[in-house]
Amino acid sequence: MDLLSGELEVEKHVKYILSIEKKKDSFESVAMEHLRMNGAYWGLTTLDLLGKIETVDQDEVISWVMQCQHESGGFAGNVGHDPHILYTLSAVQVLALFDKLDVLDVDKLSDCILWLNFMEKNAATFSPCLLDRKLDICGLQNEDGSFSGDIWGEVDTRFSYIAICCLSLLHRLDKINTEKAVEYIVSCQNLDGGFGCTPGGESHAGQIFCCVSALAITGSLYHIDKDLLGWWLCERQLKSGGLNGRPEKLPDVCYSWWVLTSLILIDRVHWIDKVKLARFILDCQDKENGGISDRPDDAVDVFHTYFGVAGLSLLEYPGLKAIDPAHALPVDVINKIFFDRK
Amino acid sequence: MTENKDSDDIAFHQLKQLERILECDPLINEVGFIHPSQFAALDDEIVGSDKSVAHSIPQSVDEFISTNLDANDLQHDSSIFWIRDHKLAISTEALFHLYNAAKHAFMAALTQQKMVDSLCRKTDKSLNKKVTDDNTGPDIFLESEVMNHSKALLLLSCDNGTAWNSRKLICSKKQCLSLLMDELLFSALILSYAPKSESAWSHRRWVIKAIDGKYPKFEDVVERESELVEKIAERSKMNYRAWNHRCWLITYMTKEQVINQLQNSRKWAELHVGDSSCFHYRQLLLQRMLKHCSRFDVYHVRKEELEWNEMLIKRYIGREALWVHRRFLSQLGSRPFRSEAEKEPYVVSNQDNINMNNFISSEMQLLHSCLSISDNDFEDIQSQGVFAASYILWMFKFFNLRQQLHNSQLTVLEDMPRVMGELKMALNKLCPEKTLLWEDQVISRIM
Repeated sequence: MDLLSGELEVEKHVKYILSIEKKKDSFESVAMEHLRMNGAYWGLTTLDLLGKIETVDQDEVISWVMQCQHESGGFAGNVGHDPHILYTLSAVQVLALFDKLDVLDVDKLSDCILWLNFMEKNAATFSPCLLDRKLDICGLQNEDGSFSGDIWGEVDTRFSYIAICCLSLLHRLDKINTEKAVEYIVSCQNLDGGFGCTPGGESHAGQIFCCVSALAITGSLYHIDKDLLGWWLCERQLKSGGLNGRPEKLPDVCYSWWVLTSLILIDRVHWIDKVKLARFILDCQDKENGGISDRPDDAVDVFHTYFGVAGLSLLEYPGLKAIDPAHALPVDVINKIFFDRK
Repeated sequence: MTENKDSDDIAFHQLKQLERILECDPLINEVGFIHPSQFAALDDEIVGSDKSVAHSIPQSVDEFISTNLDANDLQHDSSIFWIRDHKLAISTEALFHLYNAAKHAFMAALTQQKMVDSLCRKTDKSLNKKVTDDNTGPDIFLESEVMNHSKALLLLSCDNGTAWNSRKLICSKKQCLSLLMDELLFSALILSYAPKSESAWSHRRWVIKAIDGKYPKFEDVVERESELVEKIAERSKMNYRAWNHRCWLITYMTKEQVINQLQNSRKWAELHVGDSSCFHYRQLLLQRMLKHCSRFDVYHVRKEELEWNEMLIKRYIGREALWVHRRFLSQLGSRPFRSEAEKEPYVVSNQDNINMNNFISSEMQLLHSCLSISDNDFEDIQSQGVFAASYILWMFKFFNLRQQLHNSQLTVLEDMPRVMGELKMALNKLCPEKTLLWEDQVISRIM
């Protein structure tokens, strides 16, 4: 990896990320405002990995994050929007980056997540009076151990990961039935060793990251046949060095994160060529204006910039902070949460 | 300042036009965003195409009157909107302002609606118990505002969850079947230009769950839904969200539908051999179909699928999706049923051993036919060699488990060290970048 040292355009990536906030004059940028919370997480984590998080106004960020909190406890993607578990994790992660988890009403938030796990199966057909109750409490594990993303009942292993990761960061894993949650995740494993969104769902590297990380956080990795899953994952590496997310797909920088974290967590990362992967990520940089794209010469965005930098961090690229593969936060942030508890 | 206000007014006016267009033609089934300079080309295309379909929406003033629509309402700025034959094009130049106008109008209506709702809840009497004779209450008006604005907004930003949710909320309050069916039309429109929109697919699942048990011909809904996925998958290659939706539908299918789907998807898969998702769909259908079948049936269905797959492998050289499917088939009939097998000890018959021996022998033949040509420099032919050799290695690793489980006598496996040596040599030569994987797997197999 040392051979490639100096090729990462740190200053330009920092400049690129800071510029995103100012660009609000194009349709493409405003039409994504409903997921600004995810964008904040991607941008800020990248800055932290690059050692430049102090370039942003912390108070401004935190006050905006808190404005996105719904009365139920969950967070929305932006002010005035509906809460969803997808944005709730990002909000918690952003607060963790600034060591500000203490601004949260932790019990209220974890109750809300818990409730997402206890919703009636037929959330689709509930009556308006039930709906009112749900809007008031909002909290999301179902009977089978799965989690819904919000009160509307869609179930996905991504939401299981988010709930588990969030509660772990808040020291509230004891609130849910982790045994049931793990049982549901394991039921989504396929014969190829991978995982899908729901039982029987096609294996996808993004879903695999969620399932493997959730199992790692709950100490349940023994459910995985590591050789079988590791084999599937390392077949994602293509001749270019880049990784794809499923068979027959093109390589994409974002899978540097999803595939690599999973391989690390199951201890099979030596089955891929790490230097070639780092080379691929570095080739996806916009060397002039900063930012990283999905593939060489495509347009950059904050999503791929984060996954590229986080991937390089996992590959121990010189000069980057280390990142925790399961919680998707810098290791020093995680250490503060788990080892410096007041 | 005044300039801003003027442009806001213009944008709001354009939004009204868009909403009118959507309201007047609920059958719009395709939308696209194009540069206004291309509008003329669209007109030419229409002139050149079959004119007989051009009458499905009112084209003349007479028709407007006969269909009870106000002609003035459909007047729109033709430099921004283009509409014909239920196809709508919106100028890319207008998107930014149009989006802002839609967002503000939607958010304002939603806030007001929530206020009225919470007021009703506090006073504990619902202003809109049912759509009764009084159709003019403030809540009814606000609901239609939310529906109109969210429609325009979603057309411009398809994954705005808040806008989708506002529609779900109104639908669940009204409990009206036709309203739910309209949501299927509308989300299909969104998918026409955003086939990967997760929110739109999720919205459809919500609607389908809501009409299950209420719609008289639910089977038809499932059928049409499956057709929609196929139509979209045709245009949008390897669409995970679309195929995931189709897989989800299987639980709602009747036995006959599952068999039909297996037949139909076979033709589709032959024409799209790189679309791994379609093969995954078949895998689920096969598992569903064979769930309560005898070992004999499983054997024959598997054999047929294996032969079909081998034919495709030989016709389309170096397609990963075909080999991934074969891995699944090599396991079909054993592992998926392991939990059942554990309950009742599986007795391996002589016939099982013969079948297994025959199967492995034919797989070895397939391997050799693929490896014999892999000296060739063509990339596809080399890939074929890697896929074949790694398939065999993968399968043996699996049969190791199976052998322990069932204690079968497999004569083909006696020569294992030689086979492993051969696989290792082929893989290291054809795919040296994964040497560590091959080493580990071969060692763990021999041990």
